Amino acid sequence: MEIINDRKQLMLLLLKTGETMLQCGAETYRVEDTMKRMALSRNMQQFDSFVTPTGIFVSSEYDDEVFSYIRRIKSISIDLQKVSDLNNFSRLFVASEMPISDGLKTLNYIREGSDFKPYLKWICGGLASAGFTKLFGGNYIDLIPSFLAGVALLYICSFTNKNNISILVNNIIGGMIITLIALCFQFIIPSFNIGPIISGSIMPLAPGVAITNAIRDFIYGDYLSGVSRAVEALIIAIGIAFGVGIILNTSNMLGGLL
Amino acid sequence: MEFINHLFFSFISTFGFAVMFNIPKKQIFSASMLGSTGWLIFHFYSVYSSTSIISAFWGSLAVGILGEFLARYKKQPATIFIIPGIIPLVPGAGMYYTMDNLVQNKLTKAAEIGIETFMIALSIAIGIILATSVSKVLKKTIK
Repeated sequence: MEIINDRKQLMLLLLKTGETMLQCGAETYRVEDTMKRMALSRNMQQFDSFVTPTGIFVSSEYDDEVFSYIRRIKSISIDLQKVSDLNNFSRLFVASEMPISDGLKTLNYIREGSDFKPYLKWICGGLASAGFTKLFGGNYIDLIPSFLAGVALLYICSFTNKNNISILVNNIIGGMIITLIALCFQFIIPSFNIGPIISGSIMPLAPGVAITNAIRDFIYGDYLSGVSRAVEALIIAIGIAFGVGIILNTSNMLGGLL
Repeated sequence: MEFINHLFFSFISTFGFAVMFNIPKKQIFSASMLGSTGWLIFHFYSVYSSTSIISAFWGSLAVGILGEFLARYKKQPATIFIIPGIIPLVPGAGMYYTMDNLVQNKLTKAAEIGIETFMIALSIAIGIILATSVSKVLKKTIK
């Protein structure tokens, strides 16, 4: 009986590791690989897992009893510090005879995790926007509005993320805010280049990593994960384009009327 | 001068993303330099060859190989360097322009940019997978 309980604990540990890795933006095959290695290191028989960005399924067998668990994954936000910590943790777990209760404790500690201060992230969002504006052919003076737009964008996103607003609405709002800020600056000083400002400032939202990871999943044969990530990327892009398009079009129309 | 400009601004962009992705503090500088390297290869190759698809491949291959080296050297998973490293290359803006043209009912333009965006994403993924596979094989043979 005790052994069976132990196995259940181990399954939960594996599941929690996989869940945290996936939520922090690790690739599908890496999650499956890590869970498999951890299971093998504790002599788990018939262990197999099926991972998609929206859920994890694992099952194993011990003494004619089957354990299987499902974990639904809701939100994915990239947090590479945790991916690195979990990588070290899983290596340690495989190499040593770490008891499972200790493993769970370490895992909880990692999940708490350290993070940069929010205002530091907003400023860095602004820096990234400004950098891309220059790379996409803006002038030096265009860097000011795109920096402000980036900071405002990350600031608003920190609110919408807290309130679990859907990814589409989130991106529509983001696109609208960037365009409004760019238009306001152009209204005051017409020499600002609105194109590079907008396309640079939307980069923190843009689904570049999602689409690249989707194709990586396709090539590795994780077709379901690939489809799921590609659709996510598509919805993000639609959201941004609608947000920007609504404001630009309305302002053009109003400008014609005035 | 143009070189320094591109180096500096791609460094800044990758740095911003590295902080947003919360990468371990000690790795921020190398990840940002990796992003700059990828962008410089991408940009100057596409200036002389006029196709951004192949340039994205060379850029991402360089990011992949250097990322794997850095990962080995710093004992971190390679994703930590590769995800921020490909940020300047990824066609986020292309995806947006595709949708933007669709919203404005310019279907031909949308298809044109959309296919290019997809091909760029494909060639980035291929570059990274090539680098990862080669490093896996090398790791096994050296052991």
